[in-house]
Amino acid sequence: MSDGFTLGVFCTIVRPEEKAILAAAEARGVAVQRIDDGETTFGLTKPEGLPDVVLNRSVSHTRSLYATRCYAHYGVPTVNTPEVTELAGDKVLTSLRLAERGIPTPRTVVALSPEAAMRAIETIGYPVVLKPAVGSWGRLMAKVDDREEAEQILEHKAALTSPIHSVIYVQEYVRKPDRDLRVFVVGDQPVAAMYRHSSDWRTNAARGATTESAALTPELRDLALRAAAAVGGGVLAVDLMESPEGLVVHEVNPTPEFKALAGATGADVAGAIVDYAVGVGRR
Amino acid sequence: MTLCPECEAAVVNHDLIAGEIFPCVDCGTDLEVTTLEPFAVQTAPKEAEDWGE
Repeated sequence: MSDGFTLGVFCTIVRPEEKAILAAAEARGVAVQRIDDGETTFGLTKPEGLPDVVLNRSVSHTRSLYATRCYAHYGVPTVNTPEVTELAGDKVLTSLRLAERGIPTPRTVVALSPEAAMRAIETIGYPVVLKPAVGSWGRLMAKVDDREEAEQILEHKAALTSPIHSVIYVQEYVRKPDRDLRVFVVGDQPVAAMYRHSSDWRTNAARGATTESAALTPELRDLALRAAAAVGGGVLAVDLMESPEGLVVHEVNPTPEFKALAGATGADVAGAIVDYAVGVGRR
Repeated sequence: MTLCPECEAAVVNHDLIAGEIFPCVDCGTDLEVTTLEPFAVQTAPKEAEDWGE
């Protein structure tokens, strides 16, 4: 591909995922412009030398939000779009959208103060899960089994200085097997699915969950595609749980990791991402 | 070859690229490749509150 087309890869750090993406681009003859999210500045007029499309791999939700907006301002498409980044990067907005689209998701109540959060917790009933609206890898999540625990955790949350912790996302604790499911969606195709097993109630690979390839059943495929489409589509990891009532979607991740998924399934996730991003850039 | 900024163990470039994060084989600290020529590393950036997938 020597027609001057350039894929921008906007990232904070180079993890195995970004390294795989860079290798996949090189294997396809796609020229890459690496953009360090901590070094870049954005003026109000379009600068010279921008890539044809920017693949956002920043681990920072805040940087992702502003960078994708700036690239959109310059007329450079991004994967994912600013709208998808904003929506899927925020658990509150994601839950609202999933509910609007009739996609099964755990019962969730949002509270904007510790006092309201206590009412939300007792409305849902113990145990409940508290999650930060932004962030992942299971960080600062809490399973709350009784009122005493709830009071302690809310007191700790109130002491945190970031305003995001004043938004308290309360979700029912789903009694699932010791695993959840992740489906990696690129465009309108599920690339692969895996189980994440853990004896801990959190099944994040970042917290040491073990992974295993999962069959893409018609139900799983349909639900994952509907969830991805609900937030606007693109490169997304849809996380699901097997509740007693059936599959529920609990998260849609807009800058997903895939080292564990690629290892468990053998899928060429990086290649699929690069092909999709190039396609977006050539539209 | 360079030294780990935490434990001063020898760190060798095995197919690393600029910006790549990798653990020091001696102390396990995550390191980031700052430059390839000369090969240099620094402690990887700390996880911020809004980091995630």
